[in-house]
Amino acid sequence: MAAIVGAANVISDAADLRTYECDALTSFRARPSLVVLPASTDEVVAVMKVARAAGMPIVPRGAGTGLSGGALPTPGSLVLALSRMTAILDVDLDNGLMRVQPGVINLDVSRHLTPAGYYYAPDPSSQSVCTIGGNVAENSGGAHCLKYGFTVNHVRGARLVTADGDVVDLGEGGVLDPPGYDLLGVVVGSEGTLGVVTEVVLRILRRPEATRTFLAAFPSTDEAGRCVSEIIGSGIVPAAIEMMDRLAIEAAVKAVGVDWLERWPGIGAALLMDVDGPRAEVEHTAHEALAIAARTGAIEVRVPADEDERLRMWKGRKSAFAAMGRLASNYIVQDGVIPRTEIARVLAEIQQLASGAGLRVANVFHAGDGNLHPLVLYDARVPGQEREAEDLAAEILRICLRYGGSITGEHGVGADKAPFMAEMFSEADLETMARVRCAFDPDTACNPNKVFPTPRLCGDRPGPYRAHATESDGRADRG
Amino acid sequence: MTEPRMAEPRMDAAARAGEASDAIVGVVPASVVTPATLDEATEVVAGCARDRRHLAFVGGGTELALGAAPERLDVALHTAALNRIVEHAPLDQIVTVECGARVGDVQRALGAHGQMLSLDPPWADRATIGGVIASNAFGALRTRYGSIRDLIIGISFVRADGVRARGGGKVVKNVAGFDLPKLLVGSLGTLGLIATATFRLHPRPETAATIAFQRLSLADVQRLLRAAREAHLEPEAVAALSDTPDGAAWRLGIRFAGFARGVADQSARLLDAATKVERGDDGAGDVGAIEADNDAGFWDAHERARAGDATVRIKVALQPSDPAAAELFARLSEPLARARAVFYPTLGLGFVSGDAGEPDAIAAAIEAARRSLAPTGGSVVVHDAPASVRARLDVWGVGEGPRSAVPLMRSLKQRLDPERRLAPGRFVAGL
Repeated sequence: MAAIVGAANVISDAADLRTYECDALTSFRARPSLVVLPASTDEVVAVMKVARAAGMPIVPRGAGTGLSGGALPTPGSLVLALSRMTAILDVDLDNGLMRVQPGVINLDVSRHLTPAGYYYAPDPSSQSVCTIGGNVAENSGGAHCLKYGFTVNHVRGARLVTADGDVVDLGEGGVLDPPGYDLLGVVVGSEGTLGVVTEVVLRILRRPEATRTFLAAFPSTDEAGRCVSEIIGSGIVPAAIEMMDRLAIEAAVKAVGVDWLERWPGIGAALLMDVDGPRAEVEHTAHEALAIAARTGAIEVRVPADEDERLRMWKGRKSAFAAMGRLASNYIVQDGVIPRTEIARVLAEIQQLASGAGLRVANVFHAGDGNLHPLVLYDARVPGQEREAEDLAAEILRICLRYGGSITGEHGVGADKAPFMAEMFSEADLETMARVRCAFDPDTACNPNKVFPTPRLCGDRPGPYRAHATESDGRADRG
Repeated sequence: MTEPRMAEPRMDAAARAGEASDAIVGVVPASVVTPATLDEATEVVAGCARDRRHLAFVGGGTELALGAAPERLDVALHTAALNRIVEHAPLDQIVTVECGARVGDVQRALGAHGQMLSLDPPWADRATIGGVIASNAFGALRTRYGSIRDLIIGISFVRADGVRARGGGKVVKNVAGFDLPKLLVGSLGTLGLIATATFRLHPRPETAATIAFQRLSLADVQRLLRAAREAHLEPEAVAALSDTPDGAAWRLGIRFAGFARGVADQSARLLDAATKVERGDDGAGDVGAIEADNDAGFWDAHERARAGDATVRIKVALQPSDPAAAELFARLSEPLARARAVFYPTLGLGFVSGDAGEPDAIAAAIEAARRSLAPTGGSVVVHDAPASVRARLDVWGVGEGPRSAVPLMRSLKQRLDPERRLAPGRFVAGL
């Protein structure tokens, strides 16, 4: 390995390997055998071939910010850390495309484009540290995917190194509709199980002319939920609508120093909303949305006085997960999706379960698309409480499924939710997905033990079709 | 051990013998079945699996000439009777429909609730949802809303072995499992029978206005759109039309949609931006006269241009700002009679259609266009052409050069349809 990437980029020392034992889901840990940090596609190919020859599974890794254990090493695996591949290879404003290596930080893409007035739309809360490669693996969303879509809607091409070390271009050049199956569409969000992406062609957008943000304080999540439904029902497509409940607000206040509790002591829910687009359109929609918030029972609607205040409001939202550390010594970040019209009912069910278990649950979520992030607070020092918190988090997913939703809206299945896949999908569904997996990676060498609830073998690699003996001798035919 | 030879298909669904008009890329299926329910359709596919019969799926029949001729076709499964709207949840802005539902019918049902599926493929009154997914059909709305791949959130389909499987779900945000819906988009019935699909919906805009410009060159079109983008304008739909794609005679239609105030403002600003382009403020010099009007009639012309009679229909994909776009359209039009073109300039996608002239010349023009597009990753796909033209080229134009995705596609096909019973040979690279 050292001959391929240089000794400095191979980590095999037990103490140094500890950094790579887990991603941001720290409750799952496993020590890899080796971590290798390649700098180019060629190096990735060479490393994968050597690893495969040695029978080592390959676990791709970006910044390790994932919350589902998608970058959790398999024992004996080689972690392929793409964090050194940070080159921006090409920017083509005229065609709205940008070619980057996978280790480029999400926010750096937009920063790079700011002088030209362009940006990259997907904005996961971890965008200042997470990488594009990780975003591609997880099909990351973010607050603004309500209007703009997810990573899959913004990736126009990718260079994939397959488990066998073959280099394949999917959507070369970023031109739309390359003839053939949409392999790119299935590689995005495949959580590193179909190969390793070493180049990505991103779709970049002109920055909207105007953005209006407002923060509405509501007495409870019921009114806030009604406000969301009415805004969306009115024909407005907001860029983002985020909701926080009382507990989440308390955490944000402590962490970021926003004055929401002083200003609105009776606040039970906060709604943070962006509308963006051409100026006249935005003025109209912002006006309408403000009126709806007032009509649906907002205590007050605050429009930020300046960009500073706007950014502070968003910081209050985006730092909400981390802020939980101020309310509890431990917490589980859950990620589930429900039809947005069911928000009030589902929140009530969650609270009921939480009270029954004697635990607190804070809710921060993308209300526009029904993507909940319940944060289950607990204290690991209390015997049994961690287990109760895990059980509660699991029950929350089951509630989502009961309402016709999903076990993950943006964090991915990873190792964490693999067992729940069998509750969301039938055996036939999973077996079909496994066939897709096998088409790319017949030895299941790439990121094993992720996504699927039980390990699956692919069987033989199908060769070209050969006639059955009974056909060859004329006793049967393909009719 | 002897496998019994199956003489008759075991099918309960209404079946009849195939006729010339049932041909799929020129191949007439031995029989045509029109199942009445999804269960019945599933049983037809399962029965074909048991009997090792080769089959293809037919929706509205708008793209029956797309692809290469299937090597063998025993059964054509028509989805016409599978046309229910399974679920429409207006407040959640989602709809689930059966594959045979016609796009026009679905739009009318959604329109009653002030909503739409943001997709406007040609022949919408015939085209079915399943067919639109399978052929990745689209129209000018793709400008703002993306293609069907960006709108589909869930799918259920029947595999070649008769097993029903599902991917995605019915919530707009969902990353659980592989994105099977996207895999089925554009797969032309070669991976399975699309049974139902779930889509995210959008509100119908309060109002819309179209500005149409006349007599532009394609370079003018590109310059004008660049100016519109710089001015932060966000059109809902953009299309360019030409009856003489070899010259500077394109009509450009730009539609704004949304709330009245925004639409009026954007329309006015587009006219303002266009004036600046005319003056050559961008340093490009005089681009000639640009006339504009508020012209909903533009979209009628668009409909005639894309859906009118033609014996040749070619799809072109290129970088939107490709400086050789004009040359490309000219080259592809030249050997056709009554040639016309529709170009979606913000997407870099277009169609050239007309009546066949000299087959050698048409095939040569297509091959030349492919060579010129190869360095930038563009493509030329023949959607329809007489057999004389098809015989001279690969309608897909997909080679297996370095870093080709074809081996992976082949591997996928082998995993999902190992016996090659679904329209074998119709798809790219003989899949």
